[in-house]
Amino acid sequence: MEIRLDDVDTTGFETLRVFGECDLYNAQRLTTAAQERLAKGVKRLRIDLSGVNYLDSTGVGAIIRLVQSAKAMGRELRFRGISGTPRKVLVLSNIITILKEDPAEEARA
Amino acid sequence: MKPLVVRKLIVDERNELFDAQGMRYIEFPSEFEGIRSFTAKVLADCPEHFLEDNLLEQQLSEIIKNGIKHGNGCDPAKRLKVWYDLRKRARFIVEDEGSGFADLENWNDFYLRRQTALYNQDFDAFLALASWRGPKSDDSDGGNSLIAALEYWNGGMIYNGARNKVGVVRWFSHGSD
Repeated sequence: MEIRLDDVDTTGFETLRVFGECDLYNAQRLTTAAQERLAKGVKRLRIDLSGVNYLDSTGVGAIIRLVQSAKAMGRELRFRGISGTPRKVLVLSNIITILKEDPAEEARA
Repeated sequence: MKPLVVRKLIVDERNELFDAQGMRYIEFPSEFEGIRSFTAKVLADCPEHFLEDNLLEQQLSEIIKNGIKHGNGCDPAKRLKVWYDLRKRARFIVEDEGSGFADLENWNDFYLRRQTALYNQDFDAFLALASWRGPKSDDSDGGNSLIAALEYWNGGMIYNGARNKVGVVRWFSHGSD
């Protein structure tokens, strides 16, 4: 799994872009990266999962913890680009219902 | 408004899902690092349309993980036994050498409260109940694998009396090859 950080965009959100597989061996890295941004005072954080092709229960658990943390800290956390199997897994576990989602990003030039 | 229907984990020692006649068999050491590769090995010649991209792999790996980590405690002396049948549908029996899922009834109570909160659109309560935290849960436990499993295994998900063996089935709308 690879995680990249985009600068704050025009909507005021900083974006963490996640690539690869988010599973029992590495989901903790997503938690750590996002918690770091929240701890640094980022008020609006977006997690872009359009590059994630595998998400298991540990990855879903990481997402749940981040939603819980952001809510407790009064921060805005949004998600983007959830599709394919990761979306199916989030639907099966009902977690998709509590995620605030942004529309898919338009293709970059 | 549709009535609330909440599935449960069921214990049934004599359930037909534990009939391993005609099923293939493989066993693995209880190595946490091997969970995904063991799963891939079981599914090596699985019909393509059963895979649903990698959804079957993901769901089976959760069961294998539960057996290796929670059942066998990653004890290298303990084995994980897997029976599988990929004709007509995806069917598995997974047995560990642990003491069984003692918190099964507590999990069913948790799941009822969780789904009731969702049904009532009480999202604060739902968020607090989003993940199951058992006595042995740690950061690598998402706490949601059984929730997805109850939905995914549409032909049943049954535990044996000792609760250290689970039988699951998923049927596919495309039928068999």
